[in-house]
Amino acid sequence: MTEVTPPKWAERFLRWYCHPKFLEEIEGDIYELFDRRVLEGQKAKARRKFVWDVIRFFRWSNIKRSNSKLIKMNQLVLFSNYLKLGLRNIKRNLVTSSINIFGLAISIGISITTMIFVDLQYNMDQIHAKGDRIYQITNHVQQENDTELWSDSPILLGPALVKDFPEVEAFCRIEFGDANVRYGSNVFEEDLSFVDPSFLHIFDYPLLDGDRGALKNKTNVVISWDMAIKYFRDENPVGEELAFKFPNGKIKRFQVGAVLAPYPYNTLMKYEFLLPIDNFYDLNPEKTYGWEYMTDATIALMREGAKLSPSPDGFDQYKELQLGSDPEWKIASFEAIPWKDISLRGYDIRGAITGGSHPAGRVALVIISGLLLGMACFNFMNIAIAASTKRLKEIALRKAMGGIRKQIVYQFLVENVLTCFFALVVGTFLAYFFFVPGFDMLIPPLNILFRTGEPITMVIFYFALLVVIGLLSGAYPAFYISKFQPVAIFRGSLKLGSSNVFSKVLLGFQMLLAFITIVGSLLFLNEGLYNKDRDWGYNYENTFSVLVPDSQKLEQLKSIIENHSDVISVTTANGQIGGYMPTQNYEHLDKQFRMRSIRVSENYFETAGLRMKDGRVLSNSAFDQKNAVVINETFAEYMEWSNPINERIVHDSIQYTVIGVLEDFHYYDFYQPIEPVAFIGLGDRKPEFITVRTKPGAMLEVDAFMKAEWLNIAPYEAYERQFQEDVFKGYYQDNRANNAIVAVITICAMILACLGLYGLLSFNIQKKLKEFSIRKVLGASPKNIISIASKQYSWIVLIAFVLGAPLGILLMSNLIYSIFPDPLGLTPFPFVASFLLIVGTLSLTVAGQVMKAIRVNPSTNLRNE
Amino acid sequence: MKGTHLGELEELVLLTVGSLYDEAYGVAIMDEIKAQTARDLNISAVHAVLRRLEEKKLLTSKMGGATSERGGRRKRMFSLTKAGKMALDHNMTIRTGLYQKIPNLTYQFST
Repeated sequence: MTEVTPPKWAERFLRWYCHPKFLEEIEGDIYELFDRRVLEGQKAKARRKFVWDVIRFFRWSNIKRSNSKLIKMNQLVLFSNYLKLGLRNIKRNLVTSSINIFGLAISIGISITTMIFVDLQYNMDQIHAKGDRIYQITNHVQQENDTELWSDSPILLGPALVKDFPEVEAFCRIEFGDANVRYGSNVFEEDLSFVDPSFLHIFDYPLLDGDRGALKNKTNVVISWDMAIKYFRDENPVGEELAFKFPNGKIKRFQVGAVLAPYPYNTLMKYEFLLPIDNFYDLNPEKTYGWEYMTDATIALMREGAKLSPSPDGFDQYKELQLGSDPEWKIASFEAIPWKDISLRGYDIRGAITGGSHPAGRVALVIISGLLLGMACFNFMNIAIAASTKRLKEIALRKAMGGIRKQIVYQFLVENVLTCFFALVVGTFLAYFFFVPGFDMLIPPLNILFRTGEPITMVIFYFALLVVIGLLSGAYPAFYISKFQPVAIFRGSLKLGSSNVFSKVLLGFQMLLAFITIVGSLLFLNEGLYNKDRDWGYNYENTFSVLVPDSQKLEQLKSIIENHSDVISVTTANGQIGGYMPTQNYEHLDKQFRMRSIRVSENYFETAGLRMKDGRVLSNSAFDQKNAVVINETFAEYMEWSNPINERIVHDSIQYTVIGVLEDFHYYDFYQPIEPVAFIGLGDRKPEFITVRTKPGAMLEVDAFMKAEWLNIAPYEAYERQFQEDVFKGYYQDNRANNAIVAVITICAMILACLGLYGLLSFNIQKKLKEFSIRKVLGASPKNIISIASKQYSWIVLIAFVLGAPLGILLMSNLIYSIFPDPLGLTPFPFVASFLLIVGTLSLTVAGQVMKAIRVNPSTNLRNE
Repeated sequence: MKGTHLGELEELVLLTVGSLYDEAYGVAIMDEIKAQTARDLNISAVHAVLRRLEEKKLLTSKMGGATSERGGRRKRMFSLTKAGKMALDHNMTIRTGLYQKIPNLTYQFST
């Protein structure tokens, strides 16, 4: 008969909770009962009852409480001992410790920066207490094949919502405008926003001074802190008067009703001047604004507890109303976006009121910092194991003297967590002084500070880093090393380090991650450098455009500028490449489509620097101005015309004949795919832009001359000029920032890879010094020794490259293809460069160590035994 | 009065400890109560009552010698203190006093 035993776990549970004073009697009684029941032949019942008894004994009076007499003091004493030993060990192996700490610190610094960056994006504009009740009502607008999400929504939507839906508490519309603002002798051109008076109740931007209800008064203006400083310096602006001259010439005076406090760091939705929206209606009193008029944004505030689904029921009625008044602009559906998503989805919304960047950047950054962190952890583990070879005797002695394995594990864990702690400190230092400010500088629209939305996020992140890195990467070495038998160590039969497969695998992994990161980064960098010098498809140098809405003044300015000796050509249009390029409806046979088109006068293509591919340019003839169109290549491809000349399209029931085809050109930046573009004659329409091409080097001079002339023509109006080469300014800024970030990451990855190899190698060479000495004595050449010392590592590097390079390419090209419509694609550059870079830097690292082995004087190494 | 008052289960356990004399420990007490009153107590309840009675100084205890039973674990043996015996006597006096005051009449009515 097999002996029946009570369930082990119940036994352990009892011993764990029970007060030691009572344990014996309680355990005794339970066992006595158990044995009796077993004898009665009810084995299963006996086990069940046993558990039940244990549970019933689990009561307050039996539980071991943390009575000071019961703490085992030696744990605490030992801990301080571990700490002291740990510190000494770090100090003794200063080189390896600093490699570990520095390597970890770099990746920790980058992780912290990434965390702060991602946290900022998730907290962007989340400063409003009513945020969970605020929604922006956006709409999907029907395009030819798909829909576009627009922030602009019917101006009548807000009032209708409050009327039709009782759960909508308030609405607020935002209509952007501009004006020349004057206080005393200061006049500046400013962007301003017409908003409903509810604005300051829905959004609780803190006020510095004044009244939150200020916007209820039609003649009040609310200004930002920056504007208060700009116009009023030290004076108190509240109650002062500002004069606004609107673009249509109307002048109106407003009293400052309130001043907003400086915007918190996590705001992108910043307004300088807030005016009651009634003033917007007053600008054109004769105009009626119906459902066809799109205001820039509509915000809805729900009542407490009420929610708005993404596609709210009952909004379809507004679709009909809108379609009834503007059949060209077809709203497919409305979407209510909760405030917490508004910034994250900003990249997706046309005309978004608060911008967020494309999530690809965020994702890439998180992946890359994860890779770097992984590399640093492998590095850490590897060096920790290698370093322990020096301490084998210590371990054996501890065990022989009666130390238990647990104590050795604790010792190593404490040391590793300590190293990690130092790395955290250094990493924080790096992040605080270098990475975060550098990041902030590279991405100008964002104000990146060393802080998170909720301070607890930072605390949790730090704690997680400490635990994950310290314990996870410290656990393996600690358990692995503490396992050794003292006898094996003393006998010297233990093999560690060089012959350890695991440490090779770790090194391989580390190299693999390094190659993935570096090859990926270089691929990205290659793309970035290519785009830096990439042809825009037209000659943007020495040309600029000026916006003049008044056609009379435009003609005046044009006639003056035409006679300037440095001007090559002047032309007029109602748009600008890379500036204002409206989309309009076109037809061909039964096909309908929207595309960008600009109406231009003669000379346009020469002046703008566009290159003809086929056909001829638009001349001044009546036919060309009324019935001719010049298209880009993409348009011809889109229409599947093999010979586009003389094909016809219809716009506004007028037929246009294709007379020329332009080479494709990039108009906004390289992120946007090239779409069909058409240039048609101005006809009788009034142009609004003057585009000027000057002789090389004379552009600034001509611009200054033109500006002076403009002041004569219209002394009170702003001179709105854009240099054509500035069109890509934002793109280039972006590109430069990306390249800098990627370059830093590549360098960090390389440093980590070198540190890892250096640390491991230095240990192995140290260990093999005697072997090298003997080999030298027996006549080995330096070449021989080099190959012995580095052979195993070159294989690991090679294998890592073969596996890592394709992986890196795969990851990064997916990212690149999701960002750029027509990327450069694969070139041998990233492969060759990364291989040379890594092999080069690794060879240097190895060389330094191997020199040690070559230069060794055999007698010094062999003498002491 | 709290402290000297004996609960029903307490009195039962106290009596059992007295009756078992020098064989009074957890399981034995539980068994005796079951045999005498058919009440199925959990061993943990017995322990709790014993601990309480000891705190009230009505019982004392000492660990018994080790035996081969119960995996060599010792038993905690309980015995009545003088105060314990007095409390039992006191209860008994009250009961018999009250009992004797019951007039015979009552029996005639109920039968």
